[in-house]
Formats: sequence, structure tokens, C-alpha cells
Amino acid sequence: MTRRLVVGVDIGNSTTEASVAAVSGDSAEYLGTALTHTTGVKGTPENTDGAVSAVRRALERAGRTESEVETVLLNEATPVISGLAMETISETIITESTMIGHNPATPGGEGLGVGTTVAIDALAGASGPTIAVVGAGWDFDDVATELNAATERGLEVVAAVLAHDDAVLVVNRLRVPIPVVDEVGAVEKVPLGMRAAVEVAPPGRTIRTLSDSYGLASVFELDPDQTKQVSPVARALTGNRSAVVVRTPSGDVTDRRIPVGTLTLTGAGKTLQVDVDAGAEAIMEVLGRVQPLDDATGEAGTHVGGMLAQVRDTMTDVTGQPAAEIRIRDVLAVDTFVPKEVRGGLAGEVAPENAVALAAMVRTSRSRMQVVADEVAAALGCRAEIGGVEGEMAVRGALTTPGTAVPIAVLDLGGGSTDAALLDRDGVSSAVHVAGAGELVTKLIGSELALDDREQAEAVKRYPLAKVESFFHVRHEDGTVQFFPEPLPSHVFARVVTMTPEGPAPVATRHSVDHVRRVRREAKRKVFAVNAVRALKQVAPGGSLRMLDFVVLLGGSALDFEIPDLIADALAGFGVVCGIGNVHGSEGPRNAVATGLVDAHVAGS
Amino acid sequence: MTAPTAERTLTLNEVGPAKRASRPDEVVVAVSPAFADPFTKTIVDVPHAEVIRQILAGIEEQGVHARMIKVWDTADLAAVAHTGARLSGSGISIGLLSRGTAMIHQRDLPRLSNLELFPQSPLLDAEVFRRIGSNAAQYAKGESPAPVPTRNDQMARPRWQAKAALLHLKEFECIVAGRKPVEVEPVITRA
Repeated sequence: MTRRLVVGVDIGNSTTEASVAAVSGDSAEYLGTALTHTTGVKGTPENTDGAVSAVRRALERAGRTESEVETVLLNEATPVISGLAMETISETIITESTMIGHNPATPGGEGLGVGTTVAIDALAGASGPTIAVVGAGWDFDDVATELNAATERGLEVVAAVLAHDDAVLVVNRLRVPIPVVDEVGAVEKVPLGMRAAVEVAPPGRTIRTLSDSYGLASVFELDPDQTKQVSPVARALTGNRSAVVVRTPSGDVTDRRIPVGTLTLTGAGKTLQVDVDAGAEAIMEVLGRVQPLDDATGEAGTHVGGMLAQVRDTMTDVTGQPAAEIRIRDVLAVDTFVPKEVRGGLAGEVAPENAVALAAMVRTSRSRMQVVADEVAAALGCRAEIGGVEGEMAVRGALTTPGTAVPIAVLDLGGGSTDAALLDRDGVSSAVHVAGAGELVTKLIGSELALDDREQAEAVKRYPLAKVESFFHVRHEDGTVQFFPEPLPSHVFARVVTMTPEGPAPVATRHSVDHVRRVRREAKRKVFAVNAVRALKQVAPGGSLRMLDFVVLLGGSALDFEIPDLIADALAGFGVVCGIGNVHGSEGPRNAVATGLVDAHVAGS
Repeated sequence: MTAPTAERTLTLNEVGPAKRASRPDEVVVAVSPAFADPFTKTIVDVPHAEVIRQILAGIEEQGVHARMIKVWDTADLAAVAHTGARLSGSGISIGLLSRGTAMIHQRDLPRLSNLELFPQSPLLDAEVFRRIGSNAAQYAKGESPAPVPTRNDQMARPRWQAKAALLHLKEFECIVAGRKPVEVEPVITRA
């Protein structure tokens, strides 16, 4: 019996995988695998270069030459293009400089001071309880001298508001300590001659009076109607260590919804509209009513409309289909928040504003894989054929994972889309693609942590966190300490870092390890755990996850250190066995499709 | 509003040999041999009294304790700063040359490395010195401060190099070889 060399090639959204096997009769021996970036959009002639180089690398690893190859098997892949957009849907506006709600790292003194706002150089003419307002250019020594002198004269100075980062310095020099809020950049806008309150909490605590509606009512002697009006102020100050509230005739803090356009969803014979600013839950609810989705459009002139149009345009360029024929087949909306500077704020206050992130996906039925197959055949001088449909081949490859049996479902966690496929007892398979995967997670992490650098967000997604506590040790996110024999580089000292294979890399954030970890896990859960359930429901018999027995995770994101756990948690309630694919008991979650192609070829010949 | 200004002078009173401390909440400010005496201001005429006042203020605002030492046997910034770092209870120090060049150092680092370096002395003003003090104190607390933005001026080198060289030579003459670092108490008086 002669042994023939067969190479299975899986062209995916972001990677192209090749698997070399020596086939004799009905058995296949796997010799080597390789992985390269996919060239061009999946399912287009540009894939040829990537496919050829993956085959060559796999042969090199297997110690074989191109001339020995008999057949190259490609998957039937249809182009999937995804797009992302993010819309901020709320904004906080402070009017009449009513409130200073920023959190300086080092306020001074503690307690609550209620009085009238007076500029520091006008203290001589003031009387009664007074809050000193100190502008830019004042030195801390001079401020302390002035305040001490005023107290000496019998003036009741109850608190102070400073422009510079001087609060602790001033309080340390006062004979009678008072609460002081500092780093108020636009202190000149603080209304003078108004009743105001300054509160500073002890270290490790948050303010109690100004963040409470009745607290504000007591301080400013408000009637019930006025109390209703100030309740947004109290809410905006919750969780701060220090705050200033000035009572002005019509001062207010509002939390406004920004209209960002509508999304029109068509499917199941219905066309429904939903306002994007209604939030992710409302969008997904409307989407659920029009399943299966035929198309989605955004209002022209809005970000969402632009994003959906761009996805369409890209697909037109790739396939040559007219834009009018291209349909958006899935949308995923995720609630997130974006730190934004408050409008009307005096101290550069930052509030977490609500935002909606949208991922959309489009696929066509028009595949051009035959062109790729012909070009691969010409380049390698062998036969190249389309060996099977991606989803079916993935299931086939996944079935070689020890401990699995039909009915089996696979979840391919990719960069742009999450794909699910099912093989039932009768050997019938079905597959779906849903929008939202690794790219969306990176985007959510980047915006919630306000990271400018996409690479950093990607690193936060991929690697566990740690805090560099000295040049010789780090504390990992789970609390364990690791020592190093060689000192760490000085640019990571005292920073939150990602533990990349190249060593610790700093994350440009003031947040703690715990906060960054929470953001990362939440982003992964919102995208992958939600999508896993969504995609599996579409392939499961009768839409019930309880009908599934085995779920195998495949694709690059299945190698992530926590995504498989998050998905397993999400599926645990349905009595499903869920785990990471291990193709042929040795290949891990990669190469399922390439292996499935070879197996199908062997079985068919 | 106008800010009242006052001329201040700085005297460094020697209080004895500089010792290594164990309190973890301190930053050591180490100055070069000619600091405050005979020099009284930096290359761009920022008074030494103001430099020290701002650095100490930056440290104090963070609730951290400051200790000053004078290094006698070298006028090399890395050596001055590293000497301070090795004596510092937190392991963090600020090194200062008389012409204003500054550095934040840590005792576990190689001597010629640093946490933050401010090499262009003509660009350092009172505000930058305050932020240097503040950042050093935050490192001592185990926080992750954003590095003080370093300014860069292409013309600083040609414009100031000659003066910097002269100042360095003059500082060099004040070195007392073999003399150990001494702890000093800064006294700032208003004129």
C-alpha cells in the first residue's frame, strides 16, 4: 500500500492553518502542522499566499518536500466581515458651577464646613462662616499665613478650595485644621458670595453628607421640592472622598441622554426600529423578535449608520456583489462605559458615561474558494480541491477530541465572529456565525480603561496582570508573589503590568490590578459568554441548550487563559459538557478544520 | 488675585553623619557638594531655597516624610542619587545637582540607571521640582505615578552647555574626597 501525502488547509478569519498527513488506505498519520496569518479576507483569491506559505511551513516541519504532496484540501469558506462602532449615550452637565465632584488624590483635613464663598484676598471684609477660595498663583505658605491671620482676627474660616495641589501642605500649617479640597483647575469660576459646603472624608472613607439628598437638604435648608432637584448632585458625588457643593439659584447637575440615531432591524417578516441610546438590552430584545435577521441598517449620518455602511462597502469590494444585495446577518450590542470629562466641571471631573458598543457581521454565499484552489495547485504543482464546508469539517476535527461523541457542537471563538456548528445523531450538520468576538473584547477593554494604545488593550486581554512591587518581585492578580533573580527593567517599577512572554509590560492606567482585572473579565463575559449561548441556541435542536451533550471550544480564543472557564460557567446550568478541543488528542484547539478535511478525504476515498 | 511673593534663603545645617533609616515612609533628598553653599541658585536662577521648598512640599503633600543629605565625595548625579537611595528607608531618593539637574533613584537599581531623569537643567522650574517631589513620594508609597513630563528643547544644549560646563567645574572644586555623606537640616528663612 502506498503512502500518499495530503495537506489539509483551513483558511480562517485571522489565521491559516495547515496539517500534513501521510495517508495509506483508510488511515492517516499526522506529520506536522503550521500556522500563518490569513492574507486578505477569508474566502477571497488573496488567501492564496497565506495558504501556500502555511503548506510550505508544515512540510518543512514534517521534513517533507513539495514534490511529494499529492493533494491539498481547502475548506469551503465564505467571507465574514465584521465591523465595530461605539456610541456614548449619556453625558453629565454641571450648570452654574454648582458642584466640584472630582477626587483629588490628597485632599486636606477632614469633616464638613458650611459657609459663604469668599476670595482669599477679600477675607478682610468677610463675616460669619466663610469658605476661602484660593486662585492659581498663590503659594501654600502665603495661603496658610492669610488663613491663620483671618482666624486670628476672629473670622470663622470653615473650609477652603484651592487651585493647586496644596491641600495637605496648607492644612499642616494651619492652627485650626479645616477641610480643604484642592486641584480645582477652574477655581476662578466658583461663584463667590454663595452658600457652599465642603466635605472631606478620612483616608479610606467616602463622604457621607454631601452625597446624601437629605444631607444636602439639611446643609442648605431645602424644602421638599428643592430636595428633589438636588438629588442628582448627591448621586453624582457618591463614592468621592471629597466634594464641594455651591448653592446657586438655578444650579443643577443633569444626566442627559444623547440621541445617537436608530437601528432598523428586518427579519421574520417584520421591520422594527430601536434607538441605539436605549442601550444594549433593548437592542438585543428587539433583535430577538426579528430572528432570523435579514438585514440591519443604521440611520444615515450617525456612527452606527456609518459603521454598517462600511461593513457593506468592504464586502462589496471583496466579492464584487452590489452593496444593495449585501445583508447584515447579525448584530451584537454590548453596554459599556467611557470615562469622559464632565461638561461645566471646574476641576476636570471625569464621569463614567454610558456607551453602547455594536458589532455587526455580514456574510455572503458567494465564495471564491475554487479560484484559491486553482492558484494553490499552480503554485505547489499538485492537486488542490475543496474538501468540505468549514463548519462540518470543524465538527469532524473536534470529534477526534478524546471523550466526545455525537451529538456534538463546536464553538469557534475567533477574532471577528463567533461560529457554532452542530453534528446530530443522523450525521446532519448546521452552522451559524454571530457577530462579536476577540476584537470587540479588545475595544471594550481599551475604552473602559481609557487606553490610547490598542496594543496595550490587546495585551490586557491576552495576559494575566501583576503589580511590580519591587525590582525583584511582582504580585500576580491572584495575590501570589513571584521573585526574580535579575532586576526588572526600571520602566515597569511600581506599575500594573501584563505578564507577556517577553516579560512584564506596563499598562498606562491609574487603576488598581483588581479594577483592570474586573474590566477584562467583564468584557470577555459580555462578548464570549453571551455569544456562546446565543450561537449555540441557534444550532441546538429546538433552540434548547439542554439538547446538547458535548460542546467543544476551538479557535485562537479557546487558548485564552480564562475565556473557556467563563463559557463553561455560562453553560454549566444547561448540563452541557464543555471544554477545550484537543484534536487527535494532541493538537489542542487549533487545526480542527485542517484535520477534519484530511479525515473526510480519507473516509471518502 | 495676585500672589504675594517673598525672597527666601536656604541654609543646610549639618546634623551628623548620614545613616541608613528603616522607616518605609521617607524619601531622601540628596544634594551635591556645592548645593546651597557656595551656589544659591540653579543654572536658570531658580533659588535653591525654592527648589528644596517645592521638592519638600511635593513630598509632604503626599503625606510622606523627607530627609536631606549632602554628598561630599562626588558631583556625579547618578552617584549622588544612588547614595541617597541606599540610605533611604523606602529605597527612593531624589538626587540634585547645584545647577538643577535632578533624578529619582531606587536602591535596587544599578547606579547608572534611574526611575526618572531630568537631564536638561535649564528647563526645570519650581513646578517641575514640586512634581518630582510628589512622584518620588508616590513611588515610596508603592503607587504608580505618571512620570513627570520631561521637556525637551533642542536649543538648550548649544545655549547652556558652556555655562553648565563652568558650573560643573566649579561644583567639582567643592568635592571633599573621602568625606562621608552628612545628614543636613534645611532651614528656609524669608527675607
